[in-house]
Amino acid sequence: MEEIKEGRLMATKKIKEAKTNPVVAFIDKYQTAFSLILFFLTWEVLCRIFKVNEAFLCTPSSALSHLFFKQPDAAYHWGINITATLKEFVLGFTITAILGVFISVCLIWSKTLQKMVMPIFVFFQSMPNIAIIPILLIWIGYGLKTNIIIAFIASFFPMVVNTMAGLNSVDDDLLDLVRYLNASKLQVFLKVRLPMALPYIYSSLKICTSLSVMGVIVGELYASDKGLGYVIANAQKYMDTPPMFASLIVMSMLAWGMYLLVTILERVTMPWRYVKQKSED
Amino acid sequence: MSEKDVLLSIKDLRKVYKTRDGELEAIGKVTFDVKDQEFVSIVGPSGCGKSTLLRIVAGLLEKTEGEIIVDKTKFNPDKEVGFVFQKALLLDWRKVIDNVLLPIEILKLDKRKYVDRAMELLEMVGLKGFENRYPNELSGGMQQRVSIARALIHDPKLILMDEPFGALDAITREKMNLELMRIWSESKKTVLFITHEIAEAVFLSDRVIVLSARPSRQVGSFDIDLPRPRGIDLKTTPEFNKYVIDVYKTLEVQ
Ligand SMILES: Nc1ncnc2c1ncn2[C@@H]1O[C@H](COP(=O)(O)OP(=O)(O)OP(=O)(O)O)[C@@H](O)[C@H]1O
Ligand SMILES: [Mg+2]
Repeated sequence: MEEIKEGRLMATKKIKEAKTNPVVAFIDKYQTAFSLILFFLTWEVLCRIFKVNEAFLCTPSSALSHLFFKQPDAAYHWGINITATLKEFVLGFTITAILGVFISVCLIWSKTLQKMVMPIFVFFQSMPNIAIIPILLIWIGYGLKTNIIIAFIASFFPMVVNTMAGLNSVDDDLLDLVRYLNASKLQVFLKVRLPMALPYIYSSLKICTSLSVMGVIVGELYASDKGLGYVIANAQKYMDTPPMFASLIVMSMLAWGMYLLVTILERVTMPWRYVKQKSED
Repeated sequence: MSEKDVLLSIKDLRKVYKTRDGELEAIGKVTFDVKDQEFVSIVGPSGCGKSTLLRIVAGLLEKTEGEIIVDKTKFNPDKEVGFVFQKALLLDWRKVIDNVLLPIEILKLDKRKYVDRAMELLEMVGLKGFENRYPNELSGGMQQRVSIARALIHDPKLILMDEPFGALDAITREKMNLELMRIWSESKKTVLFITHEIAEAVFLSDRVIVLSARPSRQVGSFDIDLPRPRGIDLKTTPEFNKYVIDVYKTLEVQ
């Protein structure tokens, strides 16, 4: 008995120490930044130690200096290329998000509709969406519209399919709670189904951020005259790795930024999900 | 009491669930009446179909055979029923007070008029000061008490309670028993109450109905002729314990 008690006390003490130690607390707070800095530092140092050929793998510092200090010329105009990708991505993501949420909501509303369209959605989701690009090029030609459509195809179906999968695993008892009071279909929808769907919709939106960047870039890689995918495809011809890695870093930032926006929206619209964590801190 | 007093009448009720492994007869044959302003408890072994019975009465499940008759001159079964489920079933996204007010919204009543009542009910269930918390900040027992306040907010005539105090500790449970009895006697409500606790059933009820194991039949019905108002002291009297033992024996026989 005594021993167990002591063991417990010590464990509690350790937790407290960890929390009050300023260095540990600092690292804990900026953990994301630390991990990233550590990763890039290791990459930099390893490249320098082993004197890696830049035509094979550049250091992060030369990628970044390319991004910030390279004089713009026709092929590497970062302003134009980043804007092009950003525009396609933001438009693609927004259109997908709005349509995705709207369609999901419709499917939550009507089980019959859900049963009818889900097989079609699953069919499209299972299809490798890259394979559709040549057809789109025939129909529309390369550029903004095609890339947005690719982003849409890449993220819309996973979004709706995921939202539905999450929703269908939900406890029906909550519906009984309003049904016994003879709630109307609209009431059941607004007061139970929709709020219950929110967490699933947000997690789908998060998946949607990286998938739509991917869609846009794949489109640009395949055929384009601007954008980050174009930069990579073009630089590859000259084995010019710094702009390639710089593009990768920017793409990641774009997706990450959008992910962050979704997270903020999530926190603002679902305060009940975060009250408990707050009180635990 | 005469036929006229009957509020809810259950006749030859049978329920068969259709499952993947075939049919499962939950309720064999159950018949009983609940009179206006009566407090009726149902006891029976776990899985015998008590929750099923209550859900059928509430219109949440289809019955297989039999009849459920309600006297619509006494109350409106669409609006004047309160249901305390076996699980708390609070809506996570609503603060405690908004969970309590949910039936008011569903019934499209004027919410402002019921806020004070909601606060009173929360105080009654010992949750004063928690009205602006979210359910996931409450313990299981506290959540269950919110659900009790919610079932009473629209002042229902018929209250269906499915083991409402199962998640509570002995002392809180005792308190809730007394509160429930007070509400019931003051506001002339009719209660159909499910519990595992025989003593609780005897203490609260005018009548205790004993069900057998699945498929359930009625194996006993005890009129509890103990004086009201009842206090905790009643539990130590021989009359009280006699009822408890009688019910216990009926349950044990099967
Ligand atoms: N939706 C369902 N589909 C199939 N079988 C069900 C369903 N709900 C309940 N049952 C079965 O019906 C029987 C009665 O269930 P019920 O929940 O009514 O029991 P109970 O008397 O309330 O039990 P407890 O006291 O443990 O709550 C059980 O055997 C259960 O497995
Ligand atoms: Mg039950």
